[in-house]
Amino acid sequence: MKNNSLLTRRDFLVKSFTAFSAIYIIPDIIPHASASKPLDKEVDSSTRWAMNVDIDKCVEGCSACVDACVDENGLYGFDRPETDSQWIRKLTLKDIKTEKISTLPMMCQHCENPPCCDVCPTGASFRREDGIVMVNQHTCIGCRYCMMACPFKARSFVHENLTEQVTNAPRGKGCVESCNFCANRIDHGADTTACEEACMNEGHQAITFGDLSNPNSRVNKAIDNKPGRRLRADLALKQRVTYSGF
Amino acid sequence: MHQLVKSFAFIIFIFNPLLTSSHDGEKHSMKGHSKADMMEQCVEPTIVMQKEHFKFLYHQRDKTVIKGVRTKKHSLANCIDCHVSYDNKGEAIPVNSDGQFCQTCHVETAVNIDCFSCHASVPRGKQVILKSNDNIKSISNIHAKTSYLIKNLEDMHYEK
Repeated sequence: MKNNSLLTRRDFLVKSFTAFSAIYIIPDIIPHASASKPLDKEVDSSTRWAMNVDIDKCVEGCSACVDACVDENGLYGFDRPETDSQWIRKLTLKDIKTEKISTLPMMCQHCENPPCCDVCPTGASFRREDGIVMVNQHTCIGCRYCMMACPFKARSFVHENLTEQVTNAPRGKGCVESCNFCANRIDHGADTTACEEACMNEGHQAITFGDLSNPNSRVNKAIDNKPGRRLRADLALKQRVTYSGF
Repeated sequence: MHQLVKSFAFIIFIFNPLLTSSHDGEKHSMKGHSKADMMEQCVEPTIVMQKEHFKFLYHQRDKTVIKGVRTKKHSLANCIDCHVSYDNKGEAIPVNSDGQFCQTCHVETAVNIDCFSCHASVPRGKQVILKSNDNIKSISNIHAKTSYLIKNLEDMHYEK
């Protein structure tokens, strides 16, 4: 005979699993739903955006991140590779001794001590409170000092009149521009960039993006698993983009 | 006499272009329909907007670029979203093209703006696709409402 006042083994298991999942699993499935910034709040240093690239997972011949960036920011070119803007590009490296070929995406490294901002005569190159290095194109005079100062060749200059800009990425002739960690997206509450999203969708998961201040962010987990290194660490620029697996 | 006719012809020839291009008494109207057509007022009272809109834009642009504030109220993207006109096919007409919202006044007051050498003059891009679908719906609503108003006006006219 069944006793209603006591839990059966089945009920106990079901209820305890529900409670467990409510506490541990669901918050992970809905990522940072509460962390998104209200539109009227100014950015501050409590958020520190960063990116890690796992070179072992980056696939040679894949350009999903580059295509996504072009799509997101309307970076159409004029079929002139030497002068067309590129905010992110793929590099192929070959180890001289082992002849191992590896490939990686290269973009603005969002340094904490950015040389581009040091040399900018108008203050148009600046570092936002949350660590994003950007160009304020309203004050940029197009002198291109920053392009010369950048050791990663991350910046581009717009040489020609543009007509098909997208609403979220204003850009025009006579200004320098570079990757801005999809600032428009993350200001609107997203916690992923176009390149990371594309890399995830391809199933490679080489790029991880997130907030360094949040111990549960994807980038922190990725770095915990496989420590990331900064390129040219001897320059002491403290980049926010790190590479692991080399 | 011959001299008089000649000078008349000359005078008419001189003043003719001025007479034909005068706008006096002619109503200025923009091509297409925009969301703003059906609104009572902009984000601030109309008189304030006419005099101060550029101050709002300057203020907002620095807050947006440097501080990451993305409020809609004084943002250029939102201005364009609301004031851009759509033609009968539902395609957006650039706000800075001839006879459109921005350009009409700026030609009149001889103010040359360069917002749109960098900023998109129509809503464009990934995040605005959903919005523009809404736009098309609201435009068809505007069409219906305006035609309704015009009909009613005519009826009122006849009653008089």
